[in-house]
Amino acid sequence: MFRFLKALGLSTAAALGAAAAPAHAAGDLLVAPTRVILDGSRGTEVVLNNIGSEPATYRISLEIKRMTAVGGLDEIAEENITPAERAALDMIVFSPRRVTLPPNQPQVVRVGVRVPEGTPAGEYRAHMLFRAVPDAVATNAAEAKPASTGVSIALTPIYGITIPVIVRVGDLGAEAAIGDAWVSEGAEGPAFNFDLSRTGGRSVYGDIEVTRPGVAEPLLVARGIAVYPEVAARTVSLRVPDDVAAKLKGPVRIRYSEDREIGGGTIDEAERIVK
Amino acid sequence: MRKFGMKRALLGAAIAALAMNAPAAHAATATGTATAKILRQITLTKTSDLQYATIISGATASTVAVSTAGGVTCGAGLTCTGTTAAGSFDVAGTSGAVVLVGGDSSVTLNGSLGGSMTSTLTYSAPNITLGATGGSFQIGGTLSVGANQASGDYSGTFNVTANYQ
Repeated sequence: MFRFLKALGLSTAAALGAAAAPAHAAGDLLVAPTRVILDGSRGTEVVLNNIGSEPATYRISLEIKRMTAVGGLDEIAEENITPAERAALDMIVFSPRRVTLPPNQPQVVRVGVRVPEGTPAGEYRAHMLFRAVPDAVATNAAEAKPASTGVSIALTPIYGITIPVIVRVGDLGAEAAIGDAWVSEGAEGPAFNFDLSRTGGRSVYGDIEVTRPGVAEPLLVARGIAVYPEVAARTVSLRVPDDVAAKLKGPVRIRYSEDREIGGGTIDEAERIVK
Repeated sequence: MRKFGMKRALLGAAIAALAMNAPAAHAATATGTATAKILRQITLTKTSDLQYATIISGATASTVAVSTAGGVTCGAGLTCTGTTAAGSFDVAGTSGAVVLVGGDSSVTLNGSLGGSMTSTLTYSAPNITLGATGGSFQIGGTLSVGANQASGDYSGTFNVTANYQ
C-alpha cells in the first residue's frame, strides 16, 4: 500500500512538473482542497504534499485573518481577536500539527469540528496555514557566498499557503450586489475593478465572468472571489494585461455566480459601462 | 534504474486494477464502478531568492534597492557587486483562480560579526489571477546600510503566504 501511495505521489509530481518550474526548492508545497466548509458535525481531510526536492518539516496552524475593504486578508494577532474568532479557533480541531515529509510524500491532515452547545448561529472562520518550518529552509541561507570584503546578504523567505476553514452554525443566508466597475492604471499596469456588497449572516463566494453583449468569449474570468461577513462591501481589483484593459472599456455584463461545485447559480448579474 | 521505475509503475497499476476489480467481484451481475474525487489544489514553489549580492559600505548611511523586476539601485557612497535578483514564487492551481499574496513588510538582518540592518519588502501584486499555467509574484526591497556598516554575512528570514479566500 505504501508503495502504491508512493507511485501515486510520483505520478502526481510528474504531472505537476510539466506545468510548474523544473527546479523545486526545499519547502515547496501543495495543498488540496483550497477551501473547507464544515456544517457543524462532519469533518474532512486536507492533503499536504512536499513537492520540493528535499525532505521538509511542515507546521500546520490556524490563524485569524480579516478581510479589508480592498479585498486583502489582514492577519490578526491572537491578543486582538474577537470572542467569535476565538470560538472559531476553539471549534476547529485538526491533526497532525507538524509533519516531516520526504519529497513527493503526501500527508492527510484530518480536520474536525466541535460546536459547543449554545453556540450562536453564524459563520465561524479561521485560516489554516501550512508552511515549512525555518529549520527545513535554513540550509538555503548557507548557500550565501562569504564576502572577502564588504557585506553579503542572505534573505530566506519562510513561505506557505493558507486556506479558509469555515464552520456554519444554523440556517444562514446571504446576498451580494455588484456596484460600479472601472479600469484603473497603476504603477504595475492596468487593473479591472468593481465594488461588491454583501448582506446576510454568512459570506458569499463565487466566480466572476465579464462578458460583452454579443461576444461569446468572456473578456475576463476570475474564480474564487469571496466577501466575508466582517465586511459589508469590498472592492475587487484584478490586474489585467493592457489589451484586456482596453477591451473591457465600454458596455459589459458582470456575472457573479456560485462555485461550479455547488451548481454555479447566479448570485448577482449587472450591466455596466466601464470607464 | 529505469527498469526499477517501470517495475514500480507496473506494481502500482496492478494494485489499482485490483482495487477497481474488487467491487465488481462482490456484485457479479452489476458492472464495476470506479470513483475518484479530484480536489482543487494549490502549489507554491520558490524560484528565486531576493538577492542583494555583495555591498561595500561607505562613510555615510545609504540604501540599496532591488525592484520587483530584479533591477538594482545602488545608493550614493556604496559599491554593489555580484548579481542581484528579486525573490520569485510560482503559484499553480485552478485556472482563473484569484490568489491573495501576503507577507512581512520588513525584515531585520543580523550580521555574523555583529551589527544589523533592516530591509523593507515590496510585493509585485496584492493578488494574482492564475492562468492555465499558473502565475507568479515577485518580492523586491530596499536595504538600509549604515555608515561603515560592519562587514560580515548578514541573514534574516521573513514570512510570505499565498492565500485562498
